[in-house]
Amino acid sequence: MKRRELLRTGAALSGALTLAGCSSLIETRAAGVPPVPENRPDGVYYPSHVEGMEMVGTASSGDYTVGLMYSYPHRFWNVNGENVALTEIDADDAVHLMASVWDADTEAILPDTGLSAEIYQEGSLVSQEAIYPMLSQPMGFHYGANFGLDGEGEYTVRLSVGAMSTRRTGAFEGRFADPATVEIPFEYSEAAKEDIAFRTLDDQVATPGAVDAMAMATLPDAVAPAESALPGRVLGSATSDDARLIVTALDTPPVGVGGDGTYLAVSARTRYNRMVIPAMGLSGRLERNGEAVYDGAFERTLDPDLGYHYGAVVDDVVSGDELTLSVTVQPQTARHEGYETAFGGLTGGMPDVTVAVP
Amino acid sequence: MSTDGDRSRRAVLKAAVALGGASALSACLDRTDDDPVPTGDPDAKPPRQHAWREYVRHDDHGNSRLPAHQILLYLDFDVAGPPTDADRDALAASLAALDRAYAWRHEGLLHSIAYSPAYFDRFDTPLPEGIDLPDPTALSPFESPTFDRQDAVLHLASDRADAVLEADRALRGEREAANGVSVPSLTEVATVDSRRTGFVGAGLPAANQDAAGIPDSKPVPEASPLFMGFEAGFRGNQATEDYVTVDTGPFAGGTTKVIANLRQRLADWYDEQSHEERVTEMFSPGHADNGLVKGVGDNLGSSSGIDRFVDGIADDAREHGRVGHAQKAARANRDADGNVRLLRRHFESTDDIGSDQRVASLHFPSLQRRISAFEAVRRAMNGTDLTEATPAIRQRVNNGILEYIFVRRRGNFLVPPRRHRVLPTPRPE
Repeated sequence: MKRRELLRTGAALSGALTLAGCSSLIETRAAGVPPVPENRPDGVYYPSHVEGMEMVGTASSGDYTVGLMYSYPHRFWNVNGENVALTEIDADDAVHLMASVWDADTEAILPDTGLSAEIYQEGSLVSQEAIYPMLSQPMGFHYGANFGLDGEGEYTVRLSVGAMSTRRTGAFEGRFADPATVEIPFEYSEAAKEDIAFRTLDDQVATPGAVDAMAMATLPDAVAPAESALPGRVLGSATSDDARLIVTALDTPPVGVGGDGTYLAVSARTRYNRMVIPAMGLSGRLERNGEAVYDGAFERTLDPDLGYHYGAVVDDVVSGDELTLSVTVQPQTARHEGYETAFGGLTGGMPDVTVAVP
Repeated sequence: MSTDGDRSRRAVLKAAVALGGASALSACLDRTDDDPVPTGDPDAKPPRQHAWREYVRHDDHGNSRLPAHQILLYLDFDVAGPPTDADRDALAASLAALDRAYAWRHEGLLHSIAYSPAYFDRFDTPLPEGIDLPDPTALSPFESPTFDRQDAVLHLASDRADAVLEADRALRGEREAANGVSVPSLTEVATVDSRRTGFVGAGLPAANQDAAGIPDSKPVPEASPLFMGFEAGFRGNQATEDYVTVDTGPFAGGTTKVIANLRQRLADWYDEQSHEERVTEMFSPGHADNGLVKGVGDNLGSSSGIDRFVDGIADDAREHGRVGHAQKAARANRDADGNVRLLRRHFESTDDIGSDQRVASLHFPSLQRRISAFEAVRRAMNGTDLTEATPAIRQRVNNGILEYIFVRRRGNFLVPPRRHRVLPTPRPE
């Protein structure tokens, strides 16, 4: 159901909202958003509502293609180090702008590029911000921010992608090393925005689980490879605060990684819908007969076959070894509702997990 | 500009634009000063064009107070190849007239002309080996500035807005004389490609904060010399003029100058952060933890005290998830003997180059013996190594002040010594 219809029909929204004076609800968009659910579980949960989004356009420059989407203003939780803070919708916010950056050749989604947006109307600056990386259930990793606009009309959005500093391997080595800027026109109208789907969830709200990923023809998904599709020998997996960590071993490190030996790659994805979890600090200790044979960082890495992962080179891995993984810094992405209590987040805690090598 | 009742900020800004050329500088002109502006003696000028330190005001700690009002005139010379004697005579006459019109001091006029690599390209002879003047380049992995490749830039600075504006207008041919002295217009030999204005010093940023990029809460403190709310350019954190001066070859007595222009977006800086968080991002987490910065930082005296927080920056990154702008830059801003390498002379603006909009921006001239010194410091400011140390430090976020500044322009220039300031060849006699 579209939000406009929802309001028109007077369907009850979940939470404490009353529908007295529907017309004023339409004027003050934020008022239509249900409150954050009470009794959220410590982990991924079904949010109070799901908003659709509209593709504004895509444009390419250099190694990158950038997609720009928009929706209603969102509330979200910013993550800075251990700090998790709710950003409420501001009265001036008109839209939530979202951008995804992907490899123009392989359509691999690129986290960690850095992104900033400039918004112009008739050549006049309306806004310019560094946009924060975010995780949402329908989209997974993207960049997003709420913006105020100067009413309906034609805007130009300039999106600037920063070069990646994340290690790149295989065919990605040496790529995504330069910044690029694209311009995408954006025709904004309240009516078009109000046509974007808006759905409240009923009984499922605040129960463990996640809404389905949203498929969009022109937008590559941010889903991690299925366990069966990971290269190498999958050693096992474990879940820490609803982040699923799958460990696979490659006989040799991918091109772009120094050192000789076995490459251990940890692919992190959300429970339920397999969205890539980037921007964590991860370390690991590989023990053999009670002795550490590796104890160190698992480095953030982007590889065309492994996808975004955390990797370390060890001498070798043998049956009976135990790998203990420790999240040293929780994923440094803002969270949309339903993810703010998982992967660290408001409720904290990503316990160490151990994978026994079969 | 007053904030009348329910007029929206947008309406106010549009009205300002409608007035036409409502520059930050002209907004300051309601200040009236009946004292005459001191005239000058062409023979009483220092041999270095960049000799400002002895001629500007200093605060109680000996820090320089840069001239409050400044203008940058970016010039393209009309002649295609090497300049002719007639070109030189014309430019020399304009500059000599400025020398006569104004005393070389802050309540008169300080000025300097500097030349770009593009200017020197018109000669067959290269610059001497000791002169490091590359073309401007992007210095961060996330910026794509427009490069200023005009032939030259003439920098005018004074504590008297009327002096700097009169000089500017006379040079551009809008009036005959400046401070009672007839000034031949630069337009005899050059076209003014870009005119940029600005201001610096306590009170001026607060008075000019009605600009895009600064939130409506009017957060800029009256005491702050700059929009971001802190003092900068402490004596102990600046190179001396001697240090940045080229010491050998035909350009001995000159220096190199990088001028960047940065757009400032300070809504989150002021509205989402406490003073302590701003101290963390401007200076270092140690400055915040130890309460070293009161208000705008006047209590710091003649040094930001940044040097003791440089070595521990990677630990700061891991422990605090944030690093400071000053501690990052300082890593590359010391020579082997601990001397500071750059002499920064930045000032604020509400110019939005290419539009009439009032937008908070910063003109950032930096003097150094070699341009490569500036490039190293600017790259250290990117903190790319710290983004690799922890994901809490991102490309622009929690990474000093990078979230709030967007580089739009950069140009590299050579400031010759006064004796070669007029259209020099690459190997002046």
